[in-house]
Amino acid sequence: MKSREQEYKEIFIGEALEYYDALNRHISDLEKNPENETLLAEIFRLLHNLKANAKAIGYLPIADLSHKLETAFELIRNKKIAFADETVTVLFDGIDLLGELIHNLDREGYQPQDEPIIRNLDLVVESADKGSKPSERAVEVAKGPKYLNAKNIQLSDLIYIQIKKLDHLLNLVGELIIDRDRIISISKELDHPDLATVSSHLYRLTEDLQFSVMDARLVTIGSLFNKFPRIARDIAVAEKKEIHLDISGQDIQIDRNILQIITDSLLHIMRNAISHGIEPAETRVAAGKPAVGNIKLSAQSDRELVQIRLSDDGKGIDLDDVRRGIVQKGFLPAEAANELRDSEALSYIFEPGFSLAKQITEVSGRGVGLDVVKNAIDSIGGRIRIDSEKGKGTTFTLHLPTSIAVKGALLFEVDNSFYAIPLMHTDSVVALDKDELHEIGGLLVADIKNETITVISLNQFLTASEATMNLGSKAKLQGVVQNIIIVTYNNRKLGLIVDKLYRQQDIVIKPLNKPVDSIEIYGGVTLLGSGKVCLVLDVPALTRYFLTKK
Amino acid sequence: MELEERREKRDRKMEPMVHLIVFKLGSEEYGIRIEQVKEVTVTPEITRMPKTPKFIKGIANIRGDIIAIMDLEERFNVAPPADVNNLNYYKNTFTLALEASDYTMGLIVREMPQSLTIPVSQIDKTPAFIQDLNINENFIEGIGKINGRLIIVLDILRILTSDEVQQLKMSS
Repeated sequence: MKSREQEYKEIFIGEALEYYDALNRHISDLEKNPENETLLAEIFRLLHNLKANAKAIGYLPIADLSHKLETAFELIRNKKIAFADETVTVLFDGIDLLGELIHNLDREGYQPQDEPIIRNLDLVVESADKGSKPSERAVEVAKGPKYLNAKNIQLSDLIYIQIKKLDHLLNLVGELIIDRDRIISISKELDHPDLATVSSHLYRLTEDLQFSVMDARLVTIGSLFNKFPRIARDIAVAEKKEIHLDISGQDIQIDRNILQIITDSLLHIMRNAISHGIEPAETRVAAGKPAVGNIKLSAQSDRELVQIRLSDDGKGIDLDDVRRGIVQKGFLPAEAANELRDSEALSYIFEPGFSLAKQITEVSGRGVGLDVVKNAIDSIGGRIRIDSEKGKGTTFTLHLPTSIAVKGALLFEVDNSFYAIPLMHTDSVVALDKDELHEIGGLLVADIKNETITVISLNQFLTASEATMNLGSKAKLQGVVQNIIIVTYNNRKLGLIVDKLYRQQDIVIKPLNKPVDSIEIYGGVTLLGSGKVCLVLDVPALTRYFLTKK
Repeated sequence: MELEERREKRDRKMEPMVHLIVFKLGSEEYGIRIEQVKEVTVTPEITRMPKTPKFIKGIANIRGDIIAIMDLEERFNVAPPADVNNLNYYKNTFTLALEASDYTMGLIVREMPQSLTIPVSQIDKTPAFIQDLNINENFIEGIGKINGRLIIVLDILRILTSDEVQQLKMSS
């Protein structure tokens, strides 16, 4: 694998060469059409971007030269000098030198012979100041060594590709993996040495292919994060707040589509943090905090997950307010709301219709709630969590998969059918004796690692008819020892009793087709190595069904 | 006389035709426009899909596409319901993979379906008495008559988008 630095460099060179090509095209057009302002503006823009990119990545000679050329073209645009005579030659030479610098970026110890060209460029610029015709001063210019005439045509090492094509590729890889698993299980059954060899080779190849395709889709989180300084500044100005934004972890890589899906969510949380979280300067000072509010946006990668965290040191969320809100909006009766653990109470702010904002402002609080954010994160199999302390600030943590297509899942059996739950939502697996389950309030409850957790029998839930379903009866359970998968969603835990536990496996989740896509408890479906169809349970919908409804 | 016959022949040639896939549900013959039928296969293994209406038998893998399978006999109440605990019940049947707009569904039929072309003029709009039947009148596009056979032409998109199927959500 190439280092990330090398990758950045290649991207820069690819883009720079494109700019260089465009510059060549435009300057040639300009020579024929010196008064064309659109062309001038375009050249100006290209040089400006090139300068900024080169500066950002630390290629100062390119940045300096772009700057000089930019200055010259600005003078032309402002009609201080004419794009004619020697000036044209000097500028062509300058752009050629730019190309030379870009092409040789990779070469160790490369020393451009740039002094004459730079000097000439300076002369052109100075000529404008002195009002003299550049041609008089620049006679020596033309005599400068021309070493650039042997131009070699080079095609860029980078290509742009539509994300749609990569999506298609990834889907095909997904299908391939399903077939591969099938071949491997057939090969195990047949126990033929040749088939075993070829299927293990196939296994390695497809692993490699899958990895490569997923890698091709990765972008750095910086491509999103780097837009935030400006956005945050604008929100802060509109809200009359003073903030300092600290960004880290831009290098972490993530699937481009996942980044796309969370963009709005992150923006929403950022708006919330600035307009509701950070207090006005005077309030902050009175509370003994620095006048400028701090917002931290960071990314971290943790095995197969990427963690994005946005925290502010603002006023935090008042849990009493949240509890009052829970009661007012009719989610829970007052006694129940008061008994909720803090983390559970906080999780209600992700419920539709739950908003603590009292004031509608220009940028936030227009009724689009955190439930929308949560749905977006759920849709890619991620998790969101909120921590807040009154007076100290609020932190949102997003746990996201690095890649969309393949997910680790836990396979199990209920009523002779296979089901899967993505590992993203599983907390732990426990085996409990029937005696450790208690019938409380129409549901089963167990004390697991000092936590009281609601437990349901999936067999009852999935197979019994509405009329005979009894989720709170131990008599309906089969056997003595119960295998329970504890799933977690939105700080809430739910135990699911399954008939048989199988293994962990990477699965490719396919969405269900219309019209059965509307059944909430299914997140999709996957094909197992045996060719059997396996439904994937949607943990968010299940927990919503059992834990919110009460 | 001869001239008249020829004219009749010509008229029939000019007349728009409908190509139907015809199959039996209960004792009657039903038809679906061929554009809405993606393929006909031997019914594959069906995996049960809990929390769906009874007439959705489950989902099956048809050439990599995973689609829900429906038993219209049960839905239209024209045959005794299948034994829910015995998906082998559908062992020797056929499945029509239907596709209308974005909707896909497999439809189980007991006998090998046939293909039939009939003139549009031979399809009558649904008569009023159909309302008394178990079949929602909206599902029927018309009644086709040819050579003494009577074929109930179904509107698949209506069937797949009907409230009953749309409300495939948990009652909460």
